[in-house]
Amino acid sequence: MTPIVSTPGVRTPLIPPSTHPYAEVIHRLEAGGSMLPDTPENLQQIIGIYKAYAVPMDFYWRDLLYIAERVFLNPLPAFKYFISKEYLDLPNSYAGDQSKLRIWRGGEKAHPELLEFMERGETRRMPKLLHHLWHDRVNMEFAEACMQAMFWHQGMGGRFNDFLESDVYKANADRAIKAYFKGNLVMLGLYKLFPDMFMEQVKQLSFYANLGLFWEVMAPVFFEMSDLYDEGKLTSVPEAMDFLVNGIFAVAGRPIYHHVFIRGECFEIIPKSEGFTWLYEAALPYVEAVFYRTSPFRGTKSYNAQAYQVPADQADFHYGILYADVFPVGSAGIPPTLLMQDMLHFLPPYLQELYKQHRRGEEDQLIQLGITFQRSMYNVTSAVIQALRCALLYPLDDTDPEHLAANRRFFEAQMDRFLRPEARLADIQTQDYR
Amino acid sequence: MASILETALAAGAFNTLLAAVDAAGLRGALEGPGPFTVFAPVDDAFAALPPGTVQTLVDNPPQLARILKYHVLAGAHGRTDLVAQSEWPSLEGAPIPIRCSEPFEVKNATVVTADIACDNGIVHVIDRVILPG
Repeated sequence: MTPIVSTPGVRTPLIPPSTHPYAEVIHRLEAGGSMLPDTPENLQQIIGIYKAYAVPMDFYWRDLLYIAERVFLNPLPAFKYFISKEYLDLPNSYAGDQSKLRIWRGGEKAHPELLEFMERGETRRMPKLLHHLWHDRVNMEFAEACMQAMFWHQGMGGRFNDFLESDVYKANADRAIKAYFKGNLVMLGLYKLFPDMFMEQVKQLSFYANLGLFWEVMAPVFFEMSDLYDEGKLTSVPEAMDFLVNGIFAVAGRPIYHHVFIRGECFEIIPKSEGFTWLYEAALPYVEAVFYRTSPFRGTKSYNAQAYQVPADQADFHYGILYADVFPVGSAGIPPTLLMQDMLHFLPPYLQELYKQHRRGEEDQLIQLGITFQRSMYNVTSAVIQALRCALLYPLDDTDPEHLAANRRFFEAQMDRFLRPEARLADIQTQDYR
Repeated sequence: MASILETALAAGAFNTLLAAVDAAGLRGALEGPGPFTVFAPVDDAFAALPPGTVQTLVDNPPQLARILKYHVLAGAHGRTDLVAQSEWPSLEGAPIPIRCSEPFEVKNATVVTADIACDNGIVHVIDRVILPG
């Protein structure tokens, strides 16, 4: 719908309708909606998958911080997915009674469904090591793939990457490296010979911390949305999107930092005092790297870079969930499938029922939930787009045509990113895409 | 003439901004000789932010300071000066776009009162908190 001014009997658009190929979606965004159409089934699908995503995410953020802060530069990190009790019980900064910002109701410790799954897995109760070797566990490899996407693409706004190149960062990392390998002449010798390699590892660990701190917030947000939906308090897709917009603002100023604990001492590799924020240094780069860009997944399809099948410019990479063809992606061992497998364990009953009614029922649940996830991430991306519009541009009910035109240009520029044929924006406009 | 902070205090419409300046530890800097140009959001501008936004920032002074520094320019610049160029470097580092035609706008905020001269700079009152990006 085009923004209008209501005068008795006359409704005059302040700016002409968009002529963009996605004009319908743009008009919906201008009316306060989401890229995802507002249907009861879309709402049910996205909320159900947020819940299924939040449970493994509760593990991802804890283990990411555990690796960044405790495992650190362990040269043989075979047990990095064996999270310590301390990190499993680590109070979530944005859930639980100890939280300074108590706007989401969840508890501070690991979610009970996660603990139950860690205990039993898909198989049965057995020692942690056997669960690990049988791969009957949370797929941390997915979280690491997301971290690597952020690490590899870099330069996506914020000041995080600039800081990683600074002398202050290098000095902080150097202190931590020397403390970590204190008394280990072999590793200290290697550090002397190959300092850049060690520095690169620490930078990667800073991205572990970055993503862990980002997801620490998202897990309680998604749990809260699921609870509100179950209580009948979240009744439309735009309401779900607005909830996310408010959440983005609420924690926008959360510090992003990287602390390492070595023999009881805290080394601040990226101190909170650098002023890095959740919104600028974590959320926006995350959305860009993971939703839009990522990289071609090995083993699913061959790309010939010399024939320009892979863009020369990293900014043009388009292998994220917003572009994914979920069917071929559904191969074992690649990151999106690892996530789908993780979410499968925590699907609410109403989504299991829904998938049974369509396509090949239980046989292709992973594909169906992958497409549900795609719908839900179009809604999260809509929330990011609306939050940016709200922060940097003008209200949707602004009465200045120049302001509305600026909003229009912003929305159209965002939609331009979905003009390439791989984008799934057109597909999610109908319910047939499953 | 009063300083920037004294002027804001006397106006009575900048309670949140003044509290934020204290929380961020910027009082000393803004009481200095400057001169500065401050785009001062009124209380209603902070109140319009979604719940929790201001609290999270107040709980984290370095992050709050960064947002506040985005509202400050080095040097005393009146409206005539400002509209002569489309972008000005903020103390935060990110540029602040200025609308060069009527009405006088700073990024996505409208200047409701311009050119309040103070001892150590100039204040322009704005109706919205501006954010980098």
